[in-house]
Amino acid sequence: MKKKQKIALTVSAVIALALGVVPAAGAMHIMEGYLPVAYCIAWGVICIPFLVAGWFSIKKTLTGHRKSITILAMTGAFIFVLSSLKIPSVTGSCSHMTGTGLGAILFGATAVSILGIIVLIFQAILLAHGGLTTLGANTFSMAIAGPLVSLGIYKLSKVLKINKHVGIFLAAALGDLFTYCVTSVQLALAYPSAQGGVATSAVKFLAVFAPTQVPLAVIEGLLTVVIIFGLETYAKNELTEIGFLKVG
Amino acid sequence: MKKRILKADNLSYVYGNGKTALDGVTVEIYEGEKIAVIGANGSGKSTFFLNINGVYAPTSGEIVFRDMTVNKKTLNELRKNVGIVFQDADNQIIASTVKADVGFGPMNLKLPKEEVLERVAQALAYMNLTGFEDRPPHYLSGGEKKRVSIAGIVAMKPEVLIFDEPTASLDPINAMMLEEVLAKLGAEGKTMLISTHDVDFTYRWAERVLVFCNGKIIADGTPLEIFQNGEVLRQANLKRPAMLEVYELLVESGVLAAANAYPRQTQELKEVLRDSKVILGDPA
Amino acid sequence: MGKFIVLAALLLLPVLIFTIVRRTGRKHPAGHEHGPAHTHRHIGHKHGGMLSIDYFAYSSKIRGWNPAFKVVLSVLTIVLCIALDNVYVSAVVIVSMAYLVIAAGGLPPRDYLSVLTIPLTFILISILAIVVDFSAGPVGQWHVHIGFGYLYTTAPMLKKGVFLMLKILAAVSALQLMILTTPSSEIISVLRKARVPGILVDLMNLIYRFIFILMDVFARMKNAAESRLGYRDFKTSCYTFGSVASNLLILSLKKAGAYYDAMEARCYDGELLFLEEEKKADIKVVIPAAAFVLYLLLLWYLTRQAV
Repeated sequence: MKKKQKIALTVSAVIALALGVVPAAGAMHIMEGYLPVAYCIAWGVICIPFLVAGWFSIKKTLTGHRKSITILAMTGAFIFVLSSLKIPSVTGSCSHMTGTGLGAILFGATAVSILGIIVLIFQAILLAHGGLTTLGANTFSMAIAGPLVSLGIYKLSKVLKINKHVGIFLAAALGDLFTYCVTSVQLALAYPSAQGGVATSAVKFLAVFAPTQVPLAVIEGLLTVVIIFGLETYAKNELTEIGFLKVG
Repeated sequence: MKKRILKADNLSYVYGNGKTALDGVTVEIYEGEKIAVIGANGSGKSTFFLNINGVYAPTSGEIVFRDMTVNKKTLNELRKNVGIVFQDADNQIIASTVKADVGFGPMNLKLPKEEVLERVAQALAYMNLTGFEDRPPHYLSGGEKKRVSIAGIVAMKPEVLIFDEPTASLDPINAMMLEEVLAKLGAEGKTMLISTHDVDFTYRWAERVLVFCNGKIIADGTPLEIFQNGEVLRQANLKRPAMLEVYELLVESGVLAAANAYPRQTQELKEVLRDSKVILGDPA
Repeated sequence: MGKFIVLAALLLLPVLIFTIVRRTGRKHPAGHEHGPAHTHRHIGHKHGGMLSIDYFAYSSKIRGWNPAFKVVLSVLTIVLCIALDNVYVSAVVIVSMAYLVIAAGGLPPRDYLSVLTIPLTFILISILAIVVDFSAGPVGQWHVHIGFGYLYTTAPMLKKGVFLMLKILAAVSALQLMILTTPSSEIISVLRKARVPGILVDLMNLIYRFIFILMDVFARMKNAAESRLGYRDFKTSCYTFGSVASNLLILSLKKAGAYYDAMEARCYDGELLFLEEEKKADIKVVIPAAAFVLYLLLLWYLTRQAV
């Protein structure tokens, strides 16, 4: 009995420490050193086709409009800055947006894959979020899988004639949730549970990250709606200007 | 007779959204001139600069640099010889170290590396920036950034230098530094065009003033001619320089003889006053 | 007792190696850095300390070392940490990287720790998921009943968790060697040398510069909004944050156009050419680094049965 109490106490203490004391609750960047070599390489390889597609699309955009180099760069910088800003929070803890859904809706999934990997590199070297060997896994979950789901839901909600703002909310929030699921699976694959294997382990990772990631997804959805609403009101011209990025 | 360095002939420029920014601008600029370009915001000054530097291609009309009519092939020749220091250094400094940014222009000129290094060192020394080589622009103050942006143009050794509202957002010390740099460049015989809203600066620095209004040059003359022309001042919404007002008041009230001294700087006014002691009546 | 002495000796050996390095490093005093480092300290923290890593990198005393050398050493160490997966290697890397960045690089220990603890949330939460497992019956050395089953853990699982944590900290430390001593512009120039496609390198260079421009603009917009009570409660905050962010995007697109004009005015012709100067890789630094890598391999070889 005493032992049980002890462990319960320890577990709750660790959770409290993790959620309360430690300030940053951003997206789930897998840390440097977390994944074994084979997984680092495997996730990197899986990203390659998407990145190649993104690279060709960006190259095409640039040959067509040379001027778009600074627009692309500003876009990348914007996603980085957005993801490094403290967002409003009810609990007082400090959290960050991912910008994934917003990027996908505004600029399209292909451009976001390349900008995404660059942003992830800068997050590693300027913010110490994520890492270099885990770049492949993080790129897949945040710059490929998440944006694709966001864009898919956004387009689907357009087809289904769902209220535009609800569609944007769902696209951004579900994109975030999907990223969080993919990351959990990535972690589970690398560290399967001794008894239940990958599935049990995935459930465990989903469970421990849920308290930070689920509210984050909701807030991300809300903020994305506000941002796009603001853009539509004040910047119709500028939006058409970036329109070609979406086509490419 | 001075040699003509740049000519804009019936220059017009229409933006993509259909807004006409320049409407038949014709002007000839001669070697070594110090020209102030004044006029309200949106009167076409910046568009004019981007046209005579070759960043924008005129919708109609042509630009002649020395004897070369500018076309697509000779565009880079124009950009090389006409340098612009932009209003906001944070829209110009592109590299992540001072050295790399000052070297950006010379690198684009495809100069050999040794020469690029030499020019960068010279330009930094010229702008009093030696020791700042490896500093990133985001840890520089506003005045330092301005100096870097000027050094970036000086390093390209253009014959014509354009400053787009250089004193905007500079503190007095940096504004003074800027005037010293302008004097230094002037002494080297560089041709300079400066757009500004500061009529006092225009009056004391410029030899010639171009007044822009709604995409046209409505007046072109010496500062005195421009600031004594009430019609132009009214049309372009300009004030008269304080020095001119004071001088004319002194003449009007009989303190000074009605001579045509027209001092442009405080020092010159002092001399005028000293020379007219007779009228003032020597206190001794 | 004997074991401890051996362990301590093992840990301290690299420190000894790097003391030599430090001496060599001192021969390239970045003299002009001292002045600016002081006058600009507050500027580095202006952005709420968000990009303090960038500032630390610029003020590092070993910034003058060849960036390619630092990147290679750092990446190689990370790879060794995860490939060898050996707790002694992890411990040695944690100690020696901290020593290198703090003693040779001159970074205050407090700042070093503040960066090292950035991923702490992630590490703690994810390790919690590894050291605790579900089971239908009461198994393992420690367990608690939670309705439908048991949460349990075992000594080997805890050990695995601690070792994993050390491995992550070691890899993060090795990454710190790179990011806390090498400005991003130099890291990007290393990528160019490593034949990363030109477009990507150009984009990275521009993005790095633009990040600071946008941060500055954001800081100003945020203050303006704050002064008008834009953050008084959660709902207003969300609305303000969204508006400021969309404004920031509009502004950055306008700036993109202005920047392109300024680049063309300086004869930009589709290829970003920056002046980069070669910093020589000092043999007196390279040899100890090679020795360090060999030492890690040797350490792993000698202890591979023990763990």
